[in-house]
Amino acid sequence: MSQAATDKPNSPEPKRSNGFKISRRAFLGVSGGVAAAVLAVVLALKRPKLAEPVETQTDKVVAADDLISTSCLNCPTRCAIQVRRVQTTAGKTKVVKISGNPASTYSEGKCCSRSHVGLQVLYNPDRFQTPLKRVGGTKGRDVNYDADFAPVSWETALQDVASKLTSPEKLLILQGLNTTSNEDLIRQFALAYGTRNLFDEEGLETAADREGKMLADGRSNSGYEMVSEDGISTKYILAFSSGIVESERPLARNLRLWGKIRRELPNKTRVVSFDPRYSVTASRADEWLPINPGSEGALAMAIAHVILSEGLYDTDFVNDHTDGFNDFSTLARTRRFSPESVSGISGVPADTIRRVAREFAQSRPAVAWSGEAATSWPYGTLASHAIYCLNALVGSIDVPGGIVYQQYPDYQPMPTSGLPITETGITFREMADLLRDGAVNAAIGFSSNLIMSVPESREDGRWDELLKNDNFFYVHVGPAKSEMAAYADYILPACTYLEDWGYESAIPGSGYAEVRIKQPVIAPRDESRPTARTVFDLATILGRRDFFLPPSSGISGDSKEFPEEFAAYRTSLFIAWSDFRWSESKKDNTGVWKGSSYSYRNYAFGTPSGKFEFHSSHLEYLLNVGLPGEGTDYPLELAIYRPVLEIRSGSQNFPWAQEMYLVMHGRGWRNLVEINRETAHEHGVGEGDEVVIESPYGEIEGEARVVEGMQPGVVAIATGQGHFASGEFADGMGCNPMDVIGTEYDEESGQPSFFSTRVRIRKA
Amino acid sequence: MANWSMVIDLDKCVGCQACSLACKAENNVPHGSPYEHKRHHDIFWHKVIAAWEGEYPAVNTQIIPMPCMHCEHPPCVNVCPSKATYKRGDGIVMQNFRRCLGCRYCIVACPYGARSFNFKDQADEEYQRPDLPKDLGLSNEGHIGPWPYPHRTRGVVEKCTYCFHRIDQALEDGEEVGSKLDGHHGVLPACVEACPTEARYFGDLDDPESAVSKLLASRSFIKLREEMLTSPKTIYLPR
Repeated sequence: MSQAATDKPNSPEPKRSNGFKISRRAFLGVSGGVAAAVLAVVLALKRPKLAEPVETQTDKVVAADDLISTSCLNCPTRCAIQVRRVQTTAGKTKVVKISGNPASTYSEGKCCSRSHVGLQVLYNPDRFQTPLKRVGGTKGRDVNYDADFAPVSWETALQDVASKLTSPEKLLILQGLNTTSNEDLIRQFALAYGTRNLFDEEGLETAADREGKMLADGRSNSGYEMVSEDGISTKYILAFSSGIVESERPLARNLRLWGKIRRELPNKTRVVSFDPRYSVTASRADEWLPINPGSEGALAMAIAHVILSEGLYDTDFVNDHTDGFNDFSTLARTRRFSPESVSGISGVPADTIRRVAREFAQSRPAVAWSGEAATSWPYGTLASHAIYCLNALVGSIDVPGGIVYQQYPDYQPMPTSGLPITETGITFREMADLLRDGAVNAAIGFSSNLIMSVPESREDGRWDELLKNDNFFYVHVGPAKSEMAAYADYILPACTYLEDWGYESAIPGSGYAEVRIKQPVIAPRDESRPTARTVFDLATILGRRDFFLPPSSGISGDSKEFPEEFAAYRTSLFIAWSDFRWSESKKDNTGVWKGSSYSYRNYAFGTPSGKFEFHSSHLEYLLNVGLPGEGTDYPLELAIYRPVLEIRSGSQNFPWAQEMYLVMHGRGWRNLVEINRETAHEHGVGEGDEVVIESPYGEIEGEARVVEGMQPGVVAIATGQGHFASGEFADGMGCNPMDVIGTEYDEESGQPSFFSTRVRIRKA
Repeated sequence: MANWSMVIDLDKCVGCQACSLACKAENNVPHGSPYEHKRHHDIFWHKVIAAWEGEYPAVNTQIIPMPCMHCEHPPCVNVCPSKATYKRGDGIVMQNFRRCLGCRYCIVACPYGARSFNFKDQADEEYQRPDLPKDLGLSNEGHIGPWPYPHRTRGVVEKCTYCFHRIDQALEDGEEVGSKLDGHHGVLPACVEACPTEARYFGDLDDPESAVSKLLASRSFIKLREEMLTSPKTIYLPR
């Protein structure tokens, strides 16, 4: 105080009343001042981080605050997103928020919950920093990344990997979730190197569904539109074990349009869900009809039976644009597909089947939506086909609010002349046979998540043994620790999608094409590199460089620039790169390109007859449904499901996703063994018990959750947990139901049948 | 002055939890762990809960997104011995971390479980959020907020603020705040902005032209635990 007073030249002399004596008032004033000063000091010390004034804390002063348009990659929908990036004057850059991109009409500027987790994908503490080479240890569960791997330089790693690839036939390429541009590159690499053995892991879930639809229309790009651009909506949705609002792709679009069809349009869409499990979709639907697992195909035939017997089908469409209708109609109208007969298989009363069939046929446009749980069966292709045919019966093919065929943009072509092969890609069954027979001796996995998502994934199961084999050389290309990396001989760190260049095509749903840019929001962390660069470098070493350098494409051949130049070249037919990407001078580029509006009623089918084909052979197999409770050894049916916060990139090392994993049960950091109350009682299982689920293929432990919303005799377990090499937020949480699922295939598509395994339950 | 309110349409909501995640990202809310999850020690400013009722096969689940209710008569404010929690003029119930003693009376008093207690020191990297409103210190008179923010102090109670920083900034910049029924929204709290089904609306309850007022006028609505006379301003539209 006095200091301040004497500093000021014009301040008056401090007053003293009489010489040395200090009056009581003055004493109080001084001591009060001292006390205030002490208090101020104490408070200043207590104040967090106030030693420096805020203005001079340079890492707190924002120099730039940008919204950058790019696209998500936490599931195959790949939504357009905007990422908020903050830079401080001290030069620190931090990505702080992800939101939907309003320029994307595909999901109307919205993104789902998975997108927000992108921040933790980027800042995952368990990302790889350098290329790693295995120096010891055993592959698989007991991996110790620090001890078993040693850092090597990129050059050494790439040379070593290339030298291990002996011949094209002996190389397997595994493709997990990658950007569209990287998928195109990986495919080009397979063609250029000459290997047919490219397995796309998306086929694990969708192959049978796609095959059944292709049988009918010869197209692989059919999608459910729900609401057309003109606002014409589906009037009736019949969901066959389909998680429309939790796992069905395109999820963010489904969610946005769900809001629309429920409340924003004049007529509310009626949604009826056949599902053994009271899923989120079933709980949000108007009606949940519990069924026995695997009876979806038979139910579809029963509904067709009613529609055909009562003449409720769309005669115009059927007469003009279909083939094989008479045979299908004759078969469907037989007694075995009558509602009474199917009622015994499915558990749905015959009257209910009749009512639903009439509602479905009379509220057009109506769609029958098949889910993974309906088609991942030994006759999955047939089930998918039967369900899909319902759409044709009510004329919902290629009409607003019905099934539409997704359009894709024209990308600039890659060089094709001189390619050793022209076709690549194998089914799951072919891939499994290749590995089992030892026909391949090396594999490259691009963000592969194979071991977590195949049947019999357990320790010492067939996959574990195959991948552990010392003569099998595996290279993992991915951003962070994952189970496949634990089996790797070399790990090449890829950057995450927030640091990468590329483009994404909209997946089937909207009809019209949409392309979203993928551009780095932040520089790649540590030594991680874009997958595109790794592929190009590998191709260069293997002498396949020219297949990646189209003439006069603007691709310089500098591997560092390759990812951006490749994306720019491929998209140059429809948009100039400078109008697409973010730059300091063009910050308002939306990063989204939209194709022309969809034109309906083209009926351009790719079938031999050129029409929509009803196939009726073998459809009677759909009646072979194993009922819960049958058989004494394994009386229960095991169903898996994918909750909305299962991040589809192969890791679950993201605490935000983990802590709110199962919304229906308010539980996180694990999955639960969900079981019907009565069934639980029969087996002596109570809520919260530790239980063992046992199948002929193995056993897993989990916590029992007794619920009302489950068909009796069914046990449901969410996927996405049970990790063992992904990092501290994922390892050892919950169990992986794949460990007890046996290997059966869908005959047509070679997709594994995830739902046909029977189990028993006991207390641990 | 506005009277902020949030309206949540339970018919549109599908429990995807984009709101909870957007809130975590926006407000730098720290994540929990399995240990904290088990003891309900993890911090949520917003949570989605599911309430089961009925017996197989006639089951029904209500999925309810739960931000703070920002009650008209907030019981938490009544019990706070240090005036750390208070109601702003525009109805937002705030928490001042500096004044908070950590007695947790408010947690007991809140009928909605909207409050979390901060049991741990924050990891340093979580603090690095230069974009969030700065810690203005005690000297800055007239400024109210949950300071020090987004820095956190162990032993204080935290809660949803309806993203007051977004609203205040927008009003300062002369931008519009709140939802519109035609889809051209003004500035919104993070959870409302993120909702993919557009089940959430935010706006001024005193303005008859706002989306929230119109929705409440056109549909039946429920307020949670109305019998406790808190008169919440987070209001639900049933299915």
